[in-house]
Amino acid sequence: MAQNLAELCTVLIENHIGELSAQLFATLAEHGRLTVHTLAEHAKIPLRRVRTGLADLMEEQLALHFAAEEDAPTYYSVNWRNAYNLARHTNIVDLVNDRHGELAGQMVGNILQLGHARTGDLAEAYDLMPASKRDSGVDAAADHMPENGLGNGIAKASSAKASHDMSTFEFHSTLRALLRSGVLVKVGMRAYMPPSDLQEQIEETVISDQFPDRKVTGPKKQHDFKVAINALKRKWREDDAYSDLHDAGSRGAIKRPGDHFKSENKRAKVNGGHANGLLNEGEQSTSKLSDDLVVRVDFSRCTMAMRSRRLEQHAKRFLGGVTAAVYGALLQTLEGKVRAVHDELAADMSDDDESSLPAATAAEVAEILDPAIELGASIKGLATDKTLTNGTGKKGKKPHDDFGDFGIKRELSDSEDEPTTNGYSGYRDRANRLSSIEAHLALLEEHTKRYCKRVRAHGSSEWRVDFPALTATLVEAEVDTTIQARYGKLALRVARMLRERGKLEEKQVASCAMMRIKDIRAILTELQFHGILEAQELPKDNGRQPSRTLYLWFCDTFRVQHLFLQQTYKAMARTLQRIPVERERYRTVIEKAERTDVKGREQEKLEQPEKQALREWREVEERLLSQVDRMDEMVALLRDFSGRDTSLTT
Amino acid sequence: MATLTKLSGPGDALYTELCKAAQNSIEGLRKVFFQSDIEQLATDTARDKKELLPLVQELVNHSLLRLSKLDRALCWSTRPRDAATAISRLNADEKLVYSYVEDAHQKGIWLRELKKRTNINPNAVTKAMNKLENAHLIKSVKNIRAPAQKTYMLYHLVPSDDVTGGSFFDAGDLDESLIDELSNLIIFHVRMQSWADTKTKRIKRETTPPPLTAADDPDTAGGKKRKRGPTTDIEDSAATTRKYRLSAYDTDDPTIEIITQLALPAYSRAYPSAEAIHSFITTTDAIRASKAAQLTVAEIQNVVDVLVWDDKLEKIGDGYRTVRGIKFRPPGFLGDEEAEDGDKVEGNGLTQVPCGRCPVFELCGEGGPVNAGSCVYWGRWLKEGA
Repeated sequence: MAQNLAELCTVLIENHIGELSAQLFATLAEHGRLTVHTLAEHAKIPLRRVRTGLADLMEEQLALHFAAEEDAPTYYSVNWRNAYNLARHTNIVDLVNDRHGELAGQMVGNILQLGHARTGDLAEAYDLMPASKRDSGVDAAADHMPENGLGNGIAKASSAKASHDMSTFEFHSTLRALLRSGVLVKVGMRAYMPPSDLQEQIEETVISDQFPDRKVTGPKKQHDFKVAINALKRKWREDDAYSDLHDAGSRGAIKRPGDHFKSENKRAKVNGGHANGLLNEGEQSTSKLSDDLVVRVDFSRCTMAMRSRRLEQHAKRFLGGVTAAVYGALLQTLEGKVRAVHDELAADMSDDDESSLPAATAAEVAEILDPAIELGASIKGLATDKTLTNGTGKKGKKPHDDFGDFGIKRELSDSEDEPTTNGYSGYRDRANRLSSIEAHLALLEEHTKRYCKRVRAHGSSEWRVDFPALTATLVEAEVDTTIQARYGKLALRVARMLRERGKLEEKQVASCAMMRIKDIRAILTELQFHGILEAQELPKDNGRQPSRTLYLWFCDTFRVQHLFLQQTYKAMARTLQRIPVERERYRTVIEKAERTDVKGREQEKLEQPEKQALREWREVEERLLSQVDRMDEMVALLRDFSGRDTSLTT
Repeated sequence: MATLTKLSGPGDALYTELCKAAQNSIEGLRKVFFQSDIEQLATDTARDKKELLPLVQELVNHSLLRLSKLDRALCWSTRPRDAATAISRLNADEKLVYSYVEDAHQKGIWLRELKKRTNINPNAVTKAMNKLENAHLIKSVKNIRAPAQKTYMLYHLVPSDDVTGGSFFDAGDLDESLIDELSNLIIFHVRMQSWADTKTKRIKRETTPPPLTAADDPDTAGGKKRKRGPTTDIEDSAATTRKYRLSAYDTDDPTIEIITQLALPAYSRAYPSAEAIHSFITTTDAIRASKAAQLTVAEIQNVVDVLVWDDKLEKIGDGYRTVRGIKFRPPGFLGDEEAEDGDKVEGNGLTQVPCGRCPVFELCGEGGPVNAGSCVYWGRWLKEGA
């Protein structure tokens, strides 16, 4: 099963770092955890080169390592999640661009390419600091970053130097905003340890601290043990988390108790002093980040954002853009209130599913929602009727028609009695806006998919989103889209019916779907052949003859979901593998364009047909890569949104 | 039996009385009379049981009454007069066969079942059946559950829904055009009640189209569906917020009607339920009255369910609303429906690449008979997009 994924990851790593590391990754993926020596043996690569390759892998956090003791041999294993995440980079940059602006997108893009980065080095790359000590070892990664970009020879123009106009203030406030939103997180030493070893270490710590007799047998002790472990896990996680207070450059000296693994704060003391000197008067509001803060992109956080975006798109399909925008704002508000897509540590603390879901008020939604969006336009009766309570909107209809006759866009008609650009000028406007938002949220709640839910608490109303249920809806929708695109509308009808009605016999299927039994049979067989449907045999007698057997058809969404996931992995690998094949066709011209005497002066050095060919090649590559991004979105949906998939845990 | 005397006067009178009672009852010819019922009806013709018995026996002999048992009590039901005369000319085998067919009533009976039950020579049964059929006493109907089996029932009976398959079957065959029209009608009905429209007219010849609608303009230009690039969002294209059509059929009219679909405020109204849709369908003139009378709520519910699975309707509360952007065909619309629907199938990342629809996907692999390099579909796909 993991074969498709391993192939995909190998291709990704080959594109990202190079062939050597890809080969090592493939070997590790095949054999599990290995020491350097056995790895070299299996991969048939000289030990020296294995070490370089491993170093590259580890810089990108694609390999994990752990040594039980000081002298014990170090075992290496692959990090599936990070390896796959290489395919998600473009999507994440897109997302950050949307939410935090181009600048943030660019920075995140750079950090993604580096794997992780020290703030100081980042700042330096953006020409924001006088040269300082380079001591973190991250620099090696920075050095070979631009050439290897996407393995296509034509490196993307997103070099760090691209924006010289960024000020120190912008840099730090953007970085801080990203950290606060969770897109970026601090990297601690523990990030490199395999989770199983981490678990062992935690257990060991707990036993030696709290169970002096080293016995954890018996139900009571077992329970205490579990609680203690989770407490420690949470504590470690919080230690590793970013906080405005602790990670400010000027206070880098604060040392947290129990923090044996971090070394960066010690250095922060040294650098922290002169760091503040760069700030101007007007920029004092944001304190500078420590130069030695190592950050990386938090993919689970980004998955959550992708999920929100997907949900918003889904709502848009059924309820239109404006309502979807309100929904998007709600989702974004809620995102700030949960830690991850699925928090396994929080799970065992809460006994009630409902109450563990975060809630947000309309006012919070209004804060995030783009004020330029006109809320009244898309619900009948909202636009001109200020009072929402009865919502019949008889008055509301008229002005539209009048203005329509003059050929004026409707948006204008509302502006006479309401300053639409920013509804916050007065209390009344604000109240109107809030009630409009509530109306949109009610619409979302009313929909059969239950996009959100109102919870009334202490007179004010809050809104909640049942993510697990909606994730299931999204998965179903995606599976449906795939079925429809592949096998047609009628196949989709049959699949959905079987999902809803459970197991049905051929004739029942035909009568429910209102189709001829002959046509139904063809569809059922085709879908069974492709693994979408399955049939349960129900023999009428002991003979078990096919002719005396009933076949009950059913559709197992879970199985289909995994089938499609595997197929998507494979298709992604094929798409990426096609790139070098296509590249071969344009090899001569690409090589010419890359020659040192031509590079940078393509306009004058290349002939017209060559330029044309180069353009074509770029288009082909762009097309293939963007298709990979789209498939990645699908993988995210099928695998990551629920947060329950464990196929990638190492 | 062959020499049957003429029906006596009191017998005739009793028969007429019984027929009248049967016709007035809801069951019609299926009306069953118990002894007490007959006694009540026969007060004019026979004063007591002694007189009644020969009369009933006479009618049974004339095949005008059919004798059967219900809950251990004897009971009788009437037969039409012409059927009775025809029956009286039959021989014993034929009578036996006839009685079994009669018992099967509206459900009908299979030929094979009949042969098994009557326990007489199969050839004789076939012969008897042919004779009965020629005499218009029984008829063969097509059973929807077992189209290959021959099913027989009495000539004057209308086959039940179990046999015919319900309103959507026409002579044992699925009436697809009826379903299609009905679906369209339902969509029309629900659409009218579930979304509000605002119509805005706009001058067609504009030098600079407003930015809001600029992207969609090609739609109007040639009446052609716009080709969407592979990177366009599925969701975006699926939701057709604005529909364009030339107002009226007059191309000289320079205005274009933009219809914007507006949502109704949540919880402000009840959307039409299956019952409401049923009552609309049966009262409208769009469907033949006899057909409309036949349609049941369950059948309408079935159509509605199919529409939900087809993503045309969505359930809101107890009622239904059309999915956003769903259009009904105006009456007399003869356009190619498939072409219109086909435009919506955007698929997703997987189904857009050749791999998602590759027939030899399972075989594909590095060094295999098929691989990314040797694949012919990729070349075609890349050419398509260029």
